[in-house]
Amino acid sequence: MHQYILQRLLIAIPTVFGVTVLIFLAMRVIPGDPLQTIYTESTGAYILSEEELAEVRASLGLDKPLWQQYLSWMGQVFRGEMGYSFWTKDPISQMILRRGPISAQIAFFAVVLSWLFGVPIGLLSAWFRNSWADQVSRAGITLFLAVPSFWLGLLIILFTVLVLTWRPPLTIIQFWEDPGGNFAIVALPSITLGLGLGAATARMARSAALEALFDDYVRTARAKGLGNSLIIWRHVFKNAMLPVITSTGLALGGLLGGTVSVEKAFPVPGLGSLMVQGMQERDWMMIQNLVLVYGLIYVFVNLLVDLSYGMLDPRIRYS
Amino acid sequence: MPRLNRRRFLQLAGAGAGLAVLAACAEAAPDAPAVVDEPTPVPMSEADVAASADDPGLMRPPGTPKRGGHLKTAFGVTMASFDAHQGGGTHVLSHMYNNLVRNNLVDGLRTVAPDLARSVDVSDDGKTYTFNLRSVVKYHNGADFTSTDVLATFNRIMDPPQGMISPLKAEFSFVEDLTAPDAGTAVFHLSAPRSYFLNVLTATNAYIYSEASLQENDFDLRDTIAPGTGAFKFVEHQPAERWLLERNPDYWDAELPYIDQLELLHVPAWSDRGTAVLTGQADMSWNVAFETWQEGSNRDDIDNKLLPNFGAYWLFMNNASGPLADARVRKAIHLGVSKQNLKAAFGTQEVINITRWVPQGDPYATSPADLASMPGYREDIAEAKRLLAEAGYGDGVPELEILAASGPQAELLAPAVQDMLNRDLGIPTKIRIIERASLGTEQQQGTYQLMVHTRGHGVSDISPRGNLWWRTGGSQNFGGYSEPRFDALLDQIDDETDVPTRQGQINEAQDVLDDNPPEYLIGYTYHLPMWNSKVKGIELHDRIFAEWGRMETVWIDS
Repeated sequence: MHQYILQRLLIAIPTVFGVTVLIFLAMRVIPGDPLQTIYTESTGAYILSEEELAEVRASLGLDKPLWQQYLSWMGQVFRGEMGYSFWTKDPISQMILRRGPISAQIAFFAVVLSWLFGVPIGLLSAWFRNSWADQVSRAGITLFLAVPSFWLGLLIILFTVLVLTWRPPLTIIQFWEDPGGNFAIVALPSITLGLGLGAATARMARSAALEALFDDYVRTARAKGLGNSLIIWRHVFKNAMLPVITSTGLALGGLLGGTVSVEKAFPVPGLGSLMVQGMQERDWMMIQNLVLVYGLIYVFVNLLVDLSYGMLDPRIRYS
Repeated sequence: MPRLNRRRFLQLAGAGAGLAVLAACAEAAPDAPAVVDEPTPVPMSEADVAASADDPGLMRPPGTPKRGGHLKTAFGVTMASFDAHQGGGTHVLSHMYNNLVRNNLVDGLRTVAPDLARSVDVSDDGKTYTFNLRSVVKYHNGADFTSTDVLATFNRIMDPPQGMISPLKAEFSFVEDLTAPDAGTAVFHLSAPRSYFLNVLTATNAYIYSEASLQENDFDLRDTIAPGTGAFKFVEHQPAERWLLERNPDYWDAELPYIDQLELLHVPAWSDRGTAVLTGQADMSWNVAFETWQEGSNRDDIDNKLLPNFGAYWLFMNNASGPLADARVRKAIHLGVSKQNLKAAFGTQEVINITRWVPQGDPYATSPADLASMPGYREDIAEAKRLLAEAGYGDGVPELEILAASGPQAELLAPAVQDMLNRDLGIPTKIRIIERASLGTEQQQGTYQLMVHTRGHGVSDISPRGNLWWRTGGSQNFGGYSEPRFDALLDQIDDETDVPTRQGQINEAQDVLDDNPPEYLIGYTYHLPMWNSKVKGIELHDRIFAEWGRMETVWIDS
């Protein structure tokens, strides 16, 4: 097991390296100069002379060759600093540490919700296949798969603002500071994301459960006279969970992307909002580091998913 | 040199800023120019009265202000610099600092009010301004404010050290010398009279730093929140999240501020700012999305207002070559493209304020009533076609390119311009969409023919704008515009101090710009502030133009 984990971690190194190189180059290739976003007409200084531009570039380290800029960034990452925002000059690592828990909570609650709704609906839909309940749940699944999360978020925020005259708090409230206030921030984005992910989970659970229901071991269990609940719990559920876990793990990557749009819709002061702001401000350093963080999370989650197979399915052994 | 008392000072200053009322925008304009008189008495403790008796403040809001409370605003509060003289976000920072003079919060920004300057003496020739400074002002770190701080501040602005970009430098190009005869006096010597000099000093980024702060930080405050003299003191800053400021108990005007804390929430999206006010998450916002602003109009507990702003949308024209080098073609576009249509096309994004070259809110702006009958402000397609034919383009103009930033400008404004140019004037165009951040580069390099873009200036007066944008060789005259008649008039406008004479000169200059347009003015914009009705004291409903930032007279009617 340890050797397997080590192998996976070693394999992850070129993956993460590739991510850093790609995002570093992409930031410098796509149109948009951070200096012209920093020095805008609103600051009264959007027309800079060549000398002024050169000075500002030097102050941000953008006057150095690309390879030096890249190595400088990597050095900062390995020291755990991640550099400073081009725009605000604040340490990026601190901003990520402050906002990360909010985004992580949203993703976590969204996954929990998706399982709470998706797995039972999927299993029951498979058990009562072709019944009216199955038809209704499949229609609901299709609906929530089709609706983009940011649009659903906008509908929810419209409802809460116009009908309830309420909206989530605008500043970060950490769970350990005020659990109620924290919940008010993460609840609606989690529900919004959880509904879409729950629909995908339900669909996956239904098809996996349908497959399991016709397998020999279920037929044997029925022949032995086991009750329906035992058959579902002991045999169908466990076997149907493997593809669900896989899809959930993969979806977490998408969920991170989804968090950006949902955080923007509500708005939530999480990493997603920071990413959008970084893009608007052409804050290359901010975007680079956030993409790196997303990449690391993605690699880590996939490793966890793979390892969970071994725990759920005794036939799978890592050696 | 006649000495001016405070009342006289205000009256003179008001002649510049106060004339705004005469020409202020139609629905925003209330009655006549108001000059602030004696402060309205408000409840004060004996200690406060004693403290302020020597050097009283001026701005006293109407009503009976209540003390205490925590006010939240929703706005974009990130910034790339904490140095107001280097592009810092003054809508946040200005709460902590003072100017020499400033726009008066309690009369809708109609007059210029003393700030750190208690009074000002103006020489007979209008070239020497002597500012008599307050003697009771302290910085938040306890240091005394003196004239050396004024010198250090403006010397840095006018003669920035190596590596500093000073956007304000051009505004003070006519200041020859600055001296401090004693600790309580600062004297500006101008090369020529400038009637708008005090207006330039009211800019929210023209506030005073202490000489000590500048020296300690090697004259670069971009990464430092230097101690100010303002009504609010810095408490906390969470990047891209919020600023928390608290009442300065030692503020030189002991009556102010009324509230205990000011929290500036970072809410970048306009619609979110609006919903924040509608739901009570914030008490006010300087600018919200139109649909939320409209929703606020339906609520008894919410107030709002359309305020003229000094930033505009333009269709820039490159005068250097091609058909647009011909003044008749530019004028044809000026006459043939309907501003009303563009306003309607962009209505879902921002409310366009159709004005002449001088924006509403400026004392010399053309009134909407007069504007309605002027050519160019109602399309005149027949005359436009005649001009095109006269310029040799009767059979059509070669295809032109419209450059526009991705987003609403490219999706709404550029196609609307394209449609009218093609349909009404027979000018075919193609639209090239680029990142907004790249427009400035294209503009400076002159690699455009037509460009939809924004441009604004903190001061509404035509002198600083005209010298930057339209004077031959102006530092931001990227289109290469040159009109000797305008240059000559601008020379006169720069120096003229008599208001009626200057009004005539400015009208004439605008006639020249209409006759030979350097570019097409789509329109200035309105800002859409919205606030809870319990927010009092800054008279937002009475303002004649938009100004973000300082609000020490605000109080909460809770």
